[in-house]
Formats: sequence, C-alpha cells, structure tokens
Amino acid sequence: MNPPDKPSQPPPLKPLSPQDWESLLDDFQQGDPLHHKWTAPHRLQSLLDHAFTSLLKKDFPSKLALLLFLEEFSETFFTHETHLNRLLESLRSVIQSPLDGLAITYNLKEQFMVSTTSIFITVNALEKFHARFVEGLVELLVLVINRPNHSMDRQTRAIACECLRELEKCWPCLLSNMAGHLWSLCQNERTHACQSYLLLFTNVVFNIVNTKLNVSILNTSVPLVPFSVPQWVLLGGEGSKEVVVGLNYKELRRAMAFLLESLQVLTPSGMMEFLGMVMPVALALELQASMLKVQFFGMIYSFDPLLCHVVLMMYFQFLDAFDGQEGEIVTRLMLISKETQHYLVFRLLALHWLLGLLSKLMFSGEVGKYKSIFELGLRFYPAVFDSLALKSLKLDLLAFYSICLDMLKLESYSGEEVGIGKSAAKLFEDGLVSVSAFKWLPPWSTETAVAFRAFHKFLIGASSHSDSDPSTTRTLMDSTIFHTLQGMLVDLTLQFQRLVPVIVSYIDRLLGCQKHCWLGERLLQTVDEFLLPKVKIDYKLSSYLPIFDRIAEDKTIPPGGLLDLLLKFMVFLVEKHGPDTGLKSWSLGSKVLGICRTMLMHHHSSRLFLGLSHLLAFTCLYFPDLEVRDNARIYLRMLICIPGLKLRDILNLGEQLLGISPSSHSSSFFNVHSPRQHYQHFKKSRNISSYIHIERIIPLLVKQSWSLSLLPLGDGSAKAGYLESIRDREPQVDLRDLDGSENLEIAPETERIYQPQEPLRVMDSKISEILEILRRHFSFIPDFRHMPGLKVRISCHLRFESEPFNHIWGDNSPTSQLDGEDALPAIYATVLKFSSPAPYGSIPSYRIPFLLGEPPRNGDISSQTVSLDIVPVENGAREEESFRAPVTIDLEPQEPTPGLVDVSIEANAENGRIIHGQLQSITVGIEDMFLKAIVPSDIAEDAIPAYYSQLFNALWEACGAPSNIGRETFQLKGHKGVAAISGTRSVKLLEVPAGSLIRATEQYLAPFVVSVIGEPLVNMVKDGGIIRDIIWKDSTADSLLGSSTSVTPGLERGPLHLTYGEDEDESGSSINFSKRNMGCFLVLIFLPPRFHLLFQIEVSDLSTLVRIRTDYWPCLAYVDDYLEALFLA
Amino acid sequence: MPSSCSIRALWILNNLDAVVFSRKFPVVEKQWRAACKIINDTSNDEEEDTLKYSVYPFLPNDTELSSAFVERKKREGSLRGYGIRVNQSVKGSDSWVDDPITRHVISINVESKEERGENHLLWPLILHLRGSYVILVLPLVEPVHLKGYSKLCRKSDCGNAVGVDASLSSILLDVPSITGAFLVAHAIGDIIVGDVVEPEVVVNAAPSVGGLLDSLTGSIGIAGISSRAKPVAAPVASATPSGTASIGTVTADTPKLGSRPLDKDTLRNFISSAMPFGTPLDLNHSNISAIKANGFSSSDLPPADLKQPAWKPYLFKGKQRILFTIHETIHAAMYDREEISDTISVSGQINCRAELEGLPDVSLPLTGLNKAHVEVLSFHPCAQVPEHGADKQAVMFSPPLGNFVLVRYQANCGHGPPIKGFYQLSMVSEDEGAFLFKLHLMEGYKAPLTMEFCTVTMPFPRRRVVSFDGTPSVGAVLNTEYSIEWKIIASGRSLSGKSVEATFPGTVRFAPWQIQRLPSSNSGFGKMGDEDSDVEIDSTNNMANVEEFLMEKMSKDLPPVDLEEPFCWQAYSYAKVSFRIAGASLSGMSIDPKSVSIYPAVKAPVEFSSQVTSGDYILWNTLGKCPSAAMAQEFHTSILEKYKHHFSLGRFCLKIGVKNEGILVEELFNGQLLTFCNFEKGGLSDSEGGDWYLPPKSIAGAKALFQALYIW
Repeated sequence: MNPPDKPSQPPPLKPLSPQDWESLLDDFQQGDPLHHKWTAPHRLQSLLDHAFTSLLKKDFPSKLALLLFLEEFSETFFTHETHLNRLLESLRSVIQSPLDGLAITYNLKEQFMVSTTSIFITVNALEKFHARFVEGLVELLVLVINRPNHSMDRQTRAIACECLRELEKCWPCLLSNMAGHLWSLCQNERTHACQSYLLLFTNVVFNIVNTKLNVSILNTSVPLVPFSVPQWVLLGGEGSKEVVVGLNYKELRRAMAFLLESLQVLTPSGMMEFLGMVMPVALALELQASMLKVQFFGMIYSFDPLLCHVVLMMYFQFLDAFDGQEGEIVTRLMLISKETQHYLVFRLLALHWLLGLLSKLMFSGEVGKYKSIFELGLRFYPAVFDSLALKSLKLDLLAFYSICLDMLKLESYSGEEVGIGKSAAKLFEDGLVSVSAFKWLPPWSTETAVAFRAFHKFLIGASSHSDSDPSTTRTLMDSTIFHTLQGMLVDLTLQFQRLVPVIVSYIDRLLGCQKHCWLGERLLQTVDEFLLPKVKIDYKLSSYLPIFDRIAEDKTIPPGGLLDLLLKFMVFLVEKHGPDTGLKSWSLGSKVLGICRTMLMHHHSSRLFLGLSHLLAFTCLYFPDLEVRDNARIYLRMLICIPGLKLRDILNLGEQLLGISPSSHSSSFFNVHSPRQHYQHFKKSRNISSYIHIERIIPLLVKQSWSLSLLPLGDGSAKAGYLESIRDREPQVDLRDLDGSENLEIAPETERIYQPQEPLRVMDSKISEILEILRRHFSFIPDFRHMPGLKVRISCHLRFESEPFNHIWGDNSPTSQLDGEDALPAIYATVLKFSSPAPYGSIPSYRIPFLLGEPPRNGDISSQTVSLDIVPVENGAREEESFRAPVTIDLEPQEPTPGLVDVSIEANAENGRIIHGQLQSITVGIEDMFLKAIVPSDIAEDAIPAYYSQLFNALWEACGAPSNIGRETFQLKGHKGVAAISGTRSVKLLEVPAGSLIRATEQYLAPFVVSVIGEPLVNMVKDGGIIRDIIWKDSTADSLLGSSTSVTPGLERGPLHLTYGEDEDESGSSINFSKRNMGCFLVLIFLPPRFHLLFQIEVSDLSTLVRIRTDYWPCLAYVDDYLEALFLA
Repeated sequence: MPSSCSIRALWILNNLDAVVFSRKFPVVEKQWRAACKIINDTSNDEEEDTLKYSVYPFLPNDTELSSAFVERKKREGSLRGYGIRVNQSVKGSDSWVDDPITRHVISINVESKEERGENHLLWPLILHLRGSYVILVLPLVEPVHLKGYSKLCRKSDCGNAVGVDASLSSILLDVPSITGAFLVAHAIGDIIVGDVVEPEVVVNAAPSVGGLLDSLTGSIGIAGISSRAKPVAAPVASATPSGTASIGTVTADTPKLGSRPLDKDTLRNFISSAMPFGTPLDLNHSNISAIKANGFSSSDLPPADLKQPAWKPYLFKGKQRILFTIHETIHAAMYDREEISDTISVSGQINCRAELEGLPDVSLPLTGLNKAHVEVLSFHPCAQVPEHGADKQAVMFSPPLGNFVLVRYQANCGHGPPIKGFYQLSMVSEDEGAFLFKLHLMEGYKAPLTMEFCTVTMPFPRRRVVSFDGTPSVGAVLNTEYSIEWKIIASGRSLSGKSVEATFPGTVRFAPWQIQRLPSSNSGFGKMGDEDSDVEIDSTNNMANVEEFLMEKMSKDLPPVDLEEPFCWQAYSYAKVSFRIAGASLSGMSIDPKSVSIYPAVKAPVEFSSQVTSGDYILWNTLGKCPSAAMAQEFHTSILEKYKHHFSLGRFCLKIGVKNEGILVEELFNGQLLTFCNFEKGGLSDSEGGDWYLPPKSIAGAKALFQALYIW
C-alpha cells in the first residue's frame, strides 16, 4: 500500500455510523462529485478498513448494502493484494462462523460469497494477482458445496455453486480438474439446489468442449482440496493448445445424457442458462438433434415467454431437426400474441419473433416449401380489442404476408392458385378496418398514425433500403397494391379533408427517403392527376393547400393543372369577397401566393410563365386585399424580370433569413412570406464605379470636356433672358489647338440683350408667310414651364464586372457552387438616380430589376460558356446583352447645352446587402439635343417633307438676320409663353472629300436632312436610301443657286439687312466653290426646348462649306466641335 | 459465450425521474467490456467506424442515467414515447424506428462527463412502469445487436420495410436476454408495489385459499411466524371481478400514483437470490421470499429418490387435496348491426392448488376441449407437454407449491352471449340524448349457471351528466357525474335457471358542451396539421343531423390514446356490461374431478369451481360509430353471398364454400369460426373429428342449408 503522506492528510476517519454509510453509498451511486472526496488513496484505504470492520461487526444493520457497494466499486477499492487477502479472510471467517441468527445469517454468507466472487472476477484476480487468492476462494466455495443434501444450508450451497460457476465462466476450465467430483455432487444433490449443481457441472462440460480440452470428467482421483489452478488456465490461450488432444466423446456424451434427464428440475431461467450451454455442446458432440427436440420442443406450449424463446433459439440452431415443425411454431407464436392474459409486451414480442422467423424463412430461398405457413397468416387479422400496438404489428404481419403472396405467385409456375384469391389489396383493406376510425378522428389520433404506418408498410412492400437494385422499384410501380393504395389515397384526400396534413406529412416522409422519394413523387403525381379535376372550388379547398404546396414543389409535375385550379380559386375568392370574408380572403390569398412562391422556387420560370403570370396578374388587378395584391405584383415582377435560378436563390434566401429551413414543410408553408425583404446590411460602397459601369450606347462624337452654361434669368416672361456667363474650363485654346484650318466665326451678339418689348412689326407678304409658318411651328412647341417639355433621351447601358464585384460583395452565397452563368453575381432592384448641374430639369431615376455580372474576361469565360453549350461566336452579341441593362436617361433640357449627368446607384446584392454609390458621370453632348422638329398633327404624312422644307426656309430666313422678322414673338403651345427668334449665322469650311462627307451626313444627320439640292448630290444620296422622305431638288447648280438665292436674296433684300465682312467672304467663296458644287443638304435640327440649328451644307468635291444659322447662339461653340468631329474624324 | 439472459444493470426511478434504486452487476459488465473490446478491435471497416463509439464499455451513474432518461422523455413526448414514427420524431430516437415495441424497449443517450461529453447509446433498456415507479433493466446483448439497433434508429430513410433482414424483429428474435429482462422487470415491479398476487383459487366453501406461505406455514407448522414476508398479498376479495392475474395486461402497464416507499432490503434480498450475478436463476418471488424468511430446517428432507425441482423448494406436508378453479373473462363487442357481426371471446385459465405431499404427477383430462373450441392453449412450465402438443385431451403436470395457473386458453363462448340485445342512444338536441336498452340476460342458460350480478354502465367521460329520466323494467339506476349505471341484477340477488328481458328507455341531459383543451403533456402524437380556422366549418349551419354535428364537434379535440389502448374509447358511445356468472364455464371447458389422477396414487379430494367475469363486454350504440375489425375469411365470397341470406338467423350464420373434394361448411357464430364440416357427396362427414354443433334455434336454417347443398 502506498504509505500515505500522513502530515498533510486530515485525521483518519472516525468510525462511520450506519447513516454515514448510507449517505456515502448514495454519493457513490449518484456519481456525485462529492464522492471524489472519498477517492483519495489514503481515504480509500481507511474506508475499506472501516468497511471490513463494519461487515464483521455484530450489530451493523446494512451489511448487504455495504457488500454490494464494495462489489460495485471493486475496481476503485481492490487494487492491492492486501485488499484481496483481507477480503478472502473476512469471507472465510464469515463462512466458518456459526449462524447466530442475527449477525451471521445465511443471507450474509451468501451475499459475502457472491460479492467476493464478483470482486475477484472484476479486478481480474487471476491475471493481476497471485493465483493463490483465486485458489483460496475456490477452496472455500468447494467446501461449501461439498455437502450435498445437507438440509439447512441448501440455498447457500446453491449460491456457492453459482459463485463457482461465475468463476468458471470467467476463467474457462478453471474447475475442469474437479469435473468428476462435480458430477457426482450433481448426481447426489436432491434438494432444490440441484439446479445450481447442474448448471455448474454443465458449465464445466461446456467449457471443456468449447476449449476442446482433453480431461476426464469421470476422474475423481484428484482431491477437491487443496485446489490449484490448472496449468492451461494459467497459461491462457497458448498453453491450452498443447494440452488439447481431443475430446473424450464417450464420457461427455454420458454426461450429456445425464444432464438431459434432469431437465424437469430447472426453472425457466435455469432452463435458459442450461440450454444456452447444452446446445453448443450437443453440436460439438454431434448429438442427435432430435433428442433435444423431444426434450425441449414441448416448451413452446408453455406460457412462459422465456421458454418459448428458448425453443426458437433451438429451432435456429437445429433447423434440420425441426424441419416440418415450422407450421407448429408459427401457429404457436400467433397464438401467443392472442393470449390476452399475457402482458402486452410479450404479445408484441411474439409477433416480432414471428416476423423475424418468417423473414428468415422467406430469405431461405425455399418459399414454396413454406407455402402452408404463409397461408396460415391470412387468417391473422387484428381483433377489435387488440391494443393499437398489437394492431399495428399485426398489420405489419399482413403486409409481410402480402409480400409472401407475391413471391409465391412468382414461384408457382404451375399456375396453381395461391392464397385462395386473396390479394394484397384485400389484406390491406381488411386489416385497415381495425383502425378505420382514422377517417373521422382528429388527424393526430393514434389510429391515424397506425393506419398510415400500415399504409407505408404495404406501400413500400418488400423494397428494402439497402438494395440498389432498381428492379424492385419497377415491380413496385406495377404492383396492384401500389395502384390500390394510390387510388385510396386520392379518395381519402377527397373525402376527408382533415387528413390532408397527415397525407402531406406522409408524402414528405417518402420524399425524404433516398430510396423511396420516387414513390412520394408518384403519389403527388396521382394526386395531381386525379384530385385536381375533382375538387370543388369553394372555401373548403383551402384544406388542400398544403398538398398543393407539395405538388408545386415537385418538378416532375407540370404546374399547369394546379395553376388553373388556383386561378379558379382566386376568382372564387374575389367573387365571394364580402364584408365577412375579409380576413379569410387575405389568409387564403396569401396562401395561394405562398404556393406560387413555391412554384417559383422549384420550377423553371418558362414552364410557369404563362399560367403563373395570369394568376398573378389577375390577383394584382382584382384581389380585394391590398397586401395580397401587393405581393402578387412583386411576385409578378420577379417572375418577369429575374431569371429562374437567381429568383429561386432570392426566395430561398428569404426563407433562410427568416430562420426557417426550406425543408420543414408544414411550418414553412403557412408562413407566407412577403417577397419584400429589407436587410440592413450596409457596406461601404467605395469605388464602385471601378467595376459598375454606366456607358453611353452611342458614344459622343465629341469628347466634350467643357460646357457653356448660361444661367437663365427667366422670370416667367415669354422670352428667356440670357446672362452672359461663360464657364469655360478649357476655353478657346482648346479649339485652336484642335485645328488650325478652321475659320469659325462666332458672332456672339452679346450686346443684344433681349428685353421684353413691344415687337416691331414690319410685314411683307414674304415675311408674313414666314411668320405664319413659324407661328404655327412654335405653337406646337411645348412650353416646358407649364407642361412636360420635350425630352431628350440618352441610351446607356449598365454593366458590372463579376470578379471585383464578388471580391467586394460576394460571400459564400449559395450560387458559388453553380456553374456558368449561374455562378455569376447579380444585383437586384437597381435604382439609378441622375442629377446634373446643367439645366436638364429633373431627371427621372431609372430602375433595373435584375442584372447579372459580366463574366470575367479571361480564359474561364470560354470554358464556362462551353459548359453551357452556348456557341460563343453566334451568340456573343446576345450573350453580351444579357450582362448589360439598357438605361435611358430622359432629359428635359431647358437649354440645349451639353453637360454632365451624375449617376448614383442603389442596388441589392444577392446576399441582401445594399450597394450604394456614385458611378461615372454621363456626358451629354450637343448632338444629344438634336431632335427633329415637331410636325403639327394636321400635316398629312406625305406632306411632311414639304412642311420641313418650308419650315427650314422660314427658319433660315428668320435666323438670317435679326431684323428679318423683327421682334416678332411667337406663342408657344399652351398660349402662355412666347418666344422670339434672334438668329445668328456662322459658316464652317470643312476640307473633306464629298464621299466621306456624304457618308457622315447619312450616318449622323440623316433624320434631320430636310432637303437635298443639286443633281449630282441627289444622285449620290438618293440611291443610298438612307436619306428618305425629303424634298429632292434635281435642279442644276444654277437652279440650286437660284433656289438658294431665291431665299437668300430675299433676305438680303430685307429692310434690315446687314452685311458683314465675313458674309461677303462667304458669298464670295460660295461663288468660288459653286463651280464644283455638287449640291447641298439642308439640315433642320430642333434643339429643345425651342431652338433650332440649321445647316446648309454645300458639298463640293474636296471641301464643303457649312452655313450655320441658329436662334440659339451658344450652341455654335459646340457645333463647331461637332462638325469637325463629324466630318474630319 | 453461450447465450444467456444476463443483466448488466437495473435502475428504479420514482415519478420525479430520480433514481431511487440501482444495481449494477460487475461480472456481467466485465463480459460486456470484453465483447466491446473484441468488436472494437476487429472492426476496422471505415463504414463501421462511425458506429464504433456506440459500443462502449460504459455504464452511467445514477445521475447521468436519470438525466438521460429525462432527455429521452422530452424527445419522445412521453414516458414511453411515441412508439410510431410521427412528425416530431427525430433521427436517432426510438420512435424513428417506427415500432410500437420501442415503447417498451427503449434507448437513451448517455452523456458521459468523463468521455469528453460524448453520447453513448444505451440499448436495450427494458422500460416497465409499475406503481409510480419506472423500472429500467439493461440486459446484456452482443455489441453487434447494439450496432444493429443504432443503425436502425439513425437511418435516414422512410422506415423499414417488413421482413427485411436487419429489422428490429430479427434482433429481438436473436436476443433472448431482452425477453428475460422483461421477466426480471415484471418480477421487480411486483415486488416494489408489493402486490404479488397469486392466482385465485376458489373453494366452494370458503371464498379463497391463501397462497404459498399459507400452505407453507400450515404444513411446516411454524405457527409463530408473525412477520410474513410482505409481498405476499392478501387473497383477492371475491367480490372483485376477475382475478388480477388473469387480465394483467393493460392496467398493469399504466402507472398509477400513490404507492408505498420502496423497500430496498426486500429488493436486495430478492436480487441476491434470484440473480446474484445478474443472471436470473429463479424469478419466483414467493419461493425466494419464503426461503429468505424461513430458511430450511433439518426436518426439510429432500425426497428420497427424486430430485426436488428448483421451482419447488419446499414440499407440502399435511392433509392432501387438490383444487381447481376455472376463471373465464368474456370480451364481447355487440353491434346489433347487419354489416358487422358481433364478436365474443373467452379468455380463461385453470388455476390450481395442489396440496399434495412429495413430488407427484397429476393427470388432468380436459373435457370440453372440443366443445369449447379452444383456440389457444398454453401451459405452466411444470406441465409436460408432449412433442406434438396439438390435441391434448389431458395434461400431465407436476404441481408446484401454492396457487398457480395451470392452463391458459382462448376460446369461443359456447353458450351464446350471456347478455344480448342493443343499446341505442340518439342525441335529440345538443345536450339531450334519448336512449333505449333492450337486453336479454342468460338466454338459453340453465342451472347451475348463475348470474351473480349484472350492471350496465353508460360512460360519458367527456360530458357531465346533469340528469336522467326513465325507468328500467328491471333493476335500479343511479348516475354519477360522468356515467349512468343500471344495476340490472344487484349482487346478492343472483339469477339462475331463467332468462330475463330487461328494457330501459330514457333520456339523459348533459351540461352544455365545453371545448376541452388538450392537456399539453398528453399530446402523444402532437398536432399534425395547423390549427387553421380556415378549414371551414361553414357547413355547420346547414348540417341537418344534430348527431353528426355533435360528433364532429366532440371528436375535434380528442386527445390521442396510448398505443396500449385498442382504440380511442372516448370517441364512441357505448355501454359496458359487467357481470359475474358462477356455476360453469361459458366456453364449455370443465374438469371432471373424478378423472383427475395422481401418480403415485394417493387419495386426495379434488375440488373444482368455476367463475366467469366480464372483461370488455361492450354494447356499441347502434346509432353511432363503432370500432370493428375484419374477420379472416377463407372461402370464395361469391358463393358465400349466394347463400348468406338463407342462414342469417339472429346471430347465427352459415357460410359455405367449395374446396377440392367436397363442400366445406363454415359455421360462423358471432363471427368466430366454430367448426368445419366436410361434405362428401352423399353424406355428411365430420372432418375434424369434432362435434357437429348447432344451437337448436338455427337447426331449421341448417336444414335449409343442407337441402340447398344437396340440390347444388
């Protein structure tokens, strides 16, 4: 023993009172942490001391408990030889002390023996300690048993036998040397203790046979005492082999014969023990199994469950000997289950045994042989008063028989009728009668559970979960039982709405099973096929919604039927809506939408599109409840805008965020989600313009880098006043840098500040004609101050790059494992907001519901597209399209000036985060302001070219010189505002060949050309077909000139004609060019809100003169750039 | 290791789920550890590996066990659990296995502190409820079986098919220790509630004869034993219907409250003798307690030439006699309907008390075995049943000491139902019902059959009875809060030798119906669907039938019943008849005292008595719903249909069918198969050797049948 470190330890334990012991024992039993205070080594030691003292005390009351305590915690206490020694000595003294009826009783002796034995075995006394301890124990016990037929201590002897038996069990063949003595003791003992002697001897025999030990079991020459542990036991497995030379069959058979004769003394438990040992021995000794059968088979008629079980064990051990007895066993087992006197559990066990037995028989491959047995089962129906547990097991049995019948049918090649016409379906129907109350009891009733359990068993039949053979699946599909059950299910659903949730959860159960999910699908298909046409459209339909939800989930079922039905239902709800049904309408409508949502989540949108869009559209138009309408609208939008997979992800995401796993069907179904989810996950959106791009579709010709801004001083009067303020970031320098060859005249009539004043009216017929035209023209120009002005539309597109986007916004979103396009990120509900310092009015924001990111521009894209089976070449453009969202910016310019439009974006990433930030600004060029002039509505289609031509001429005149039309003002549309024209002229010489000029004109200015004059030019242009519906004047150069003079001179003739030097040059040059003149384009451009830009492009071979007139002089600055870019670039 | 029924440990928990008694058997535990070591060492399989830890050489201490048990209770919804896979079942739980036996053989997950919080599956735990106690017994199984079960309850599929190889059934078949553990659990249960009841043996003079100790003390002559071993119960008072041992099934499994404190010493004593090392040797508590209390004296000599069986530690000494009592319990479901035939069945037993010296064998001829149409016959282990036990006309047994059940049987009622007639209840309004009984008692019964009392009870467990109105033609009526009792024959005024017709029309008024909330603890199967009010009752307004409406209303909040119940009793309206009949058995089973022989021959008087009590004798409301079950029929139904109307006389019906060589007549009486007759061409021969038995009333019908058959 470890010398305990005395100084540190508390004083040794005081003697423990019985009460102390009791609480101590409790502590240990409970596993209370308290007991650790006892487990310090020195404590244990003294505790053990106390225990032994108490045990030997006379008046200690709870010795048994103490012994049991030591037994149970023996490994804690008995760690040293001295402990064992002490134990053995105590036992010896107890056994040898005479009874006093108080301290020493048979009870104590017995328990002491038992506990000691148990402790020896538990602490592995033979292996861990010297053999003398075990030998000592065996000697003590042997002395006890060696007094057969002694009257008083018979029970003690029995217990001692049991102790020896346990030792023998633990160390096989320990007692083999004394087998002879044991046998004779066994033969002699005639009290009730003989069972223990028998069992002990049997155990010894069993171990001898089991280890094939060659010892004589008749030999009694070795004295019982002193006992020494046999060599082969000490040596363990290896040593025993040397001893083995074979069994002494003759002796052993004799012993067996003796044992089998003494059966009637055994209790059922004893019989169990006995047979457990005898059967292997009989096998090893090759005894005739029929011998055993004769002896033991009768036990099957006992009502002791253990004995019946023993027979079953024997049956499996000796299948051959019991051949032909199966019927009897099966019948017997059935009858046990009918015995109402039994505890229920034994009846259940009997049925289990029966099932186990039958399945073993069935798998034996000789089904035909057991035909009669299987037929027996057909009479085995649940009875009324059978408990539900029994009923459900009996239904199992019937299910099993239905399988057997199938197998028999397969086997009976002779065409012989099997099962007397019983079909599995009939069996099922009959069996179900016993729980038929499930049809009207509440769905949570036990009857329902049992009925559906049976349903399941019959349905899946013989198809186990282990086999991977698909043939069973097919046979199952074809089986009649399957069809019957399917039909039954639909009928049940139709008849008893309350069962719908049960059916749904049953289908869920099947769907959740890897092997049988197809069964669930099949059931759903059946329901879809047969139930949908039959349900009545009324409020009761609502009870079917859960099953509809499952149908909606199933991809194999075309959603058309269900959608039809739901639409009808919605119509019904709308029609029936009244003051009383408000809440109901809301609830049902929401549920139907819930199903729609399920469909969206599980089907391809294309499949759903038609039906679902009808349904949703109907709902958002007519449904009485606002929320439902609202949700329907959102779903509809989602359906239309968001491609399938992304949509499913979004809907899924919603579920997850709500903390509902998608699979928990029943709960999620009724939790109808609003499609709108707001997540406040803000993330700083910096530099988003580096990967989200908004770009013009048609790039500007001029990379405008400056803009001229005139702040209006308008005070609501007819004329806009201009304040001279030129903001020029890179002023004229730039222009000069750009070209040296230009000779642009800007005539900034800065001196002319228009003030509202009485217009001067100088009229001649010509001018009045012009005025007439202009008045008419202006009267169609909306006054933007009072009505929606003219809009300028700039087409852009939005795109973003996947990789940087993912880098910043991505998380482990569910899309990450997807391939191809599905792997790309997307942004949702994008709102682009525009603002501009330029006078563009308020710019409406633009919304993009969904946008996919651009695939990364490296090699990956090709592999991805390949995997998507998209041929990149042909579909390249379209594919490109899918990554770009068109954006249009509607400007309502108050001045036709270029400018910048700032763009800010707000969007949702897939994970619900909000993207927020500024994008690159969009540059608006002057050409964006180019509009066609408004054509009055009363002008006929074919008169339009003429109108334009007239208008051009009129404007040309009006802008020619300020005096031409005086200070005439023109009323705008709405008659509130008036406008005056103050024209400006300019010219630009472009040294470009005619061909390229024409091409550029055709390309960029075609819509604005109102007339082409001059045969050569007409010839060149007319065939191109690009410029159409205009006035063609095939006149010669003269006539061209004439025509031009017919206008110009008139103007020049005007009373307010001013001649500028430049103008002179211009006329001169025009004359110079005229020889080479091919003709000219007349271009009329309307600049919103009310201005005009007129070009007269005189085309010559090598150079072209553009005469410009406008009533908005600031535009000349840009026009110059524009023209150069247009023609010179 | 030979198969045996060893037990690793057992625990007894009180109704607060605290362990009040536990016992571990270290020797068995050592075997378990050895087996675990072997299987854990050998299984290197990857697939197996995940389950490796489910086999663990580990026993929980009391605290761990009790918390694991509480955990299971939570998981499984109730003490026993769902038993069947329901919505609430989770993978790895017992109900996932989807078998009602998992209400009895349970598993718990023990979280061990020492093993880094790992969960260990502890299975199979035998769960037995007795009194307010929960008894858990853990038998020793092979680790393979534990693995098998653990696979079963963790499979993610939709539930096992029947008859597959790795099913629970085959495990249960392979493991007798589970069966043994149940026996242990029941034995211990009997001890802790202290009512070990010996089968009742009635003697004509005195009501009952005491048990083993009485005979023991009487014979041994130890007059002064004042401290009787507690568990031996007082003899059952004769007024209590049906011997407790004869129908122990349902009632015994349900826990009842209020019980005496646990007698740990008795338990320890019992265990140390019955299974000192955890392997049961003898579970007969009477024997063991007698040995513990009395020991043996030198005067207890062993028999000279025979071995004294282990189940008979003491031999009788004194005046010799042998007593038999036949106890029968009648179960009946009376429908009085065309489409459902009535069922009536008898479960009976022969109790015996053989006060015989030495170790004699007794031979008892069972007369009336054929007449009684006994279906099941099973015997006490002391009876020697020959290998082919089918047609036993006599049983040979070597009687143990004290009272014991010699034979149990299931039979048909040979006399016809002792009470027949009908019960009709129809609701005239929501709270008022009109009912009518019309009963015939003891019709066709002759002396000495005596009906000692007869009471008809109409239970209304869900409706409070306010008043009733009506007078029966016979007997007296009284009402309790939830039932009406009609005592047709009060005890003490027995009815013998004549039949009685009793009618009872009346009305009953109930308190207004109140919605009964499901007690949350009791919702065994939980709610499957939602409680949505959308599922409409808008048809209520136009529901014509009050009855249907009420039915609908009342069945709406019915709680699910336990799987141990045959059906939801509360869902039906019925009347239950209780009675006792003395004088003879109703099945026809009887014992002729003269033909009882004893070897070696000894002169001992043989006494015989019999009594019949009612079990579930139910008259279903003819106008309401009723539970029923289909009968197994083996004949071509087409032919049956053809002749059925000829022979439906009262409750008597003949069904005929064709089989290979002749015509088979199946005589059905109240739905139970009585006999087969095989008609050869030209005559009637009795195929089974049994009696051709026809109640007189239907002979005319039978004649018609014969004629029909002849023509046919």
